[in-house]
Amino acid sequence: MKRAIMNSTRFFMSMALVLFGLATVSVPAAQALTCSVTPDNIPITFTYHGAQLAITGQSASTDDLIVTITSEPVDTALRNYEKVGGLVWMKKGSLEFKDAPRVYLLSSTADLSRILDAAELNQNLLGFEALRGHIRIEDGKGNPADGKWFDEYLKFKKEENVYDMREGAIVRQHGENGNTYTVDVAWPYQAPPGIYTVNVVAVRNGKVVERASANIEVKSTGMVAALSKMAVDQAGLYGIMAVIVALLAGLGVGAIFKKGGGSH
Amino acid sequence: MYMYLPIALTSVNYLVVMGLGLAVGLLSGLFGVGGGFLMTPLLMMVGIPPTIAAATDANQIVAASASGTISHWRLGNVDFKMGLYLLIGGFAGGAGGVQVIKLLRATGGADFLIKMTYVVMLGGVGSFMFVESLNAMRKTKKASATSAPAAAPKEKKGGFFAALPMQTYFEKSGVTHSALVPLFLGTFVGVLAAIMGVGGGFLMVPVMIYMLRMPMHVVVGTSLFQILFTCIEVTYLQAYSNHTVDFILAIILLVGSVFGAQIGTVLGRKLHGDQLKILLSIIVLAVTVKIVLELVMEPSILLSYAGGH
Repeated sequence: MKRAIMNSTRFFMSMALVLFGLATVSVPAAQALTCSVTPDNIPITFTYHGAQLAITGQSASTDDLIVTITSEPVDTALRNYEKVGGLVWMKKGSLEFKDAPRVYLLSSTADLSRILDAAELNQNLLGFEALRGHIRIEDGKGNPADGKWFDEYLKFKKEENVYDMREGAIVRQHGENGNTYTVDVAWPYQAPPGIYTVNVVAVRNGKVVERASANIEVKSTGMVAALSKMAVDQAGLYGIMAVIVALLAGLGVGAIFKKGGGSH
Repeated sequence: MYMYLPIALTSVNYLVVMGLGLAVGLLSGLFGVGGGFLMTPLLMMVGIPPTIAAATDANQIVAASASGTISHWRLGNVDFKMGLYLLIGGFAGGAGGVQVIKLLRATGGADFLIKMTYVVMLGGVGSFMFVESLNAMRKTKKASATSAPAAAPKEKKGGFFAALPMQTYFEKSGVTHSALVPLFLGTFVGVLAAIMGVGGGFLMVPVMIYMLRMPMHVVVGTSLFQILFTCIEVTYLQAYSNHTVDFILAIILLVGSVFGAQIGTVLGRKLHGDQLKILLSIIVLAVTVKIVLELVMEPSILLSYAGGH
């Protein structure tokens, strides 16, 4: 009887060990997607010239990942050049780009077209082609504008460094901490202050299976914040200050040249 | 090396911006022009939005023109009386010009007219000054080659201008005009400057030389005196109404421009009036060519922020 009990105890312990072992082996596949960004707070001071962001987290080893950094969508008005009289290029009208994020920076583990099909990309607003379908463009009279203006908008935003796509830029590591990913992003100084969202999606078998996100706050501080505020809240005083400082600088340098015995 | 600008919301290499200030300040001290027609596009090239580039440029011109005016005043090159008449006319013309532009915009197609006015005025003024100065320099050369004393330019007497009332002697410039003449010419330049969205120094300088017949060195000092007040007004109005003056950008620019204006004044003393005129005309013509090329060549990106020329 005692022997039977001992045998069954050994059997259950062995089974438990086997199950534990199986559980341990299957962890990478079920590893929860996480996302963190460093730094998550970017102060704008006089020496600010953008920042270097590190986006890291854990994910299942077999999933593909797509990381986007975007802002809340806004309506952006821009002037457009047109040929006038068949000869000269001039800013003729204006176009409104509706529901367009101020910033759109995307990184992925591979080419987007190999990770998701067009319908999935559009549905999840991933990639420039998905933005093409999402952003509405209207002319000055509120009529829909030609689709070619999206290409120009993209060029304009890329030139400002606020729209970018880096396919294959996400680096994976398999170590003691499980399966991790990391991607370094050069944060453009052209991006205005505000709160930005980092979204990570995990893709398995052509479907988005998991999501994680984090926020980045870009904020003016110190004298930069004080001057921005003063320019709007105390515009008259700001104007007088700008004039007086310029006058004093001009007259001051004039006096220095005279003291220095200048040539006159 | 980089500094963040709180109103322009961008970061710039301050040494490059200071260098731009120095170069344009030098032109200011040399020729008596504010340099807005050069500085605004240069600032846009370093990534400053057009509306902020234009407004902040006016702020830095306050410093450069104050610096230039004081050094020209010490040299006895500022005709305050003439400057005051032109300034009154300029203010009135500027206010009128703003209304004209409102009317033009309401009728549509104003931008084309503005751009064409700009090109024609720049090209016309530049070409006229270039040819006139070249002829004057040739005559001087010929006169010195024949050892004959160079004939002083004759002041035109009589005619419509002489018949006008309120004849006044402008001591510093050594000319007599009706007070109505500088008032009218100031208004004329003010209207054109407002329509084109520029300070108007490059128009005022030729007007003083060829229509008011003032000596070149007095023209430079008097033009700077007038520009100083115009830009004070523009800076305040832009800061108050549009919040487009970037104080930090202006400080970086003016560090360069006030020194540039002093160096320009010293250099200007070493150059003959005709040499100054021909140099200015070459710069004005180069800017005209640049604008014409920009107009006829397709831009690489067909979108832009509002503002600018």
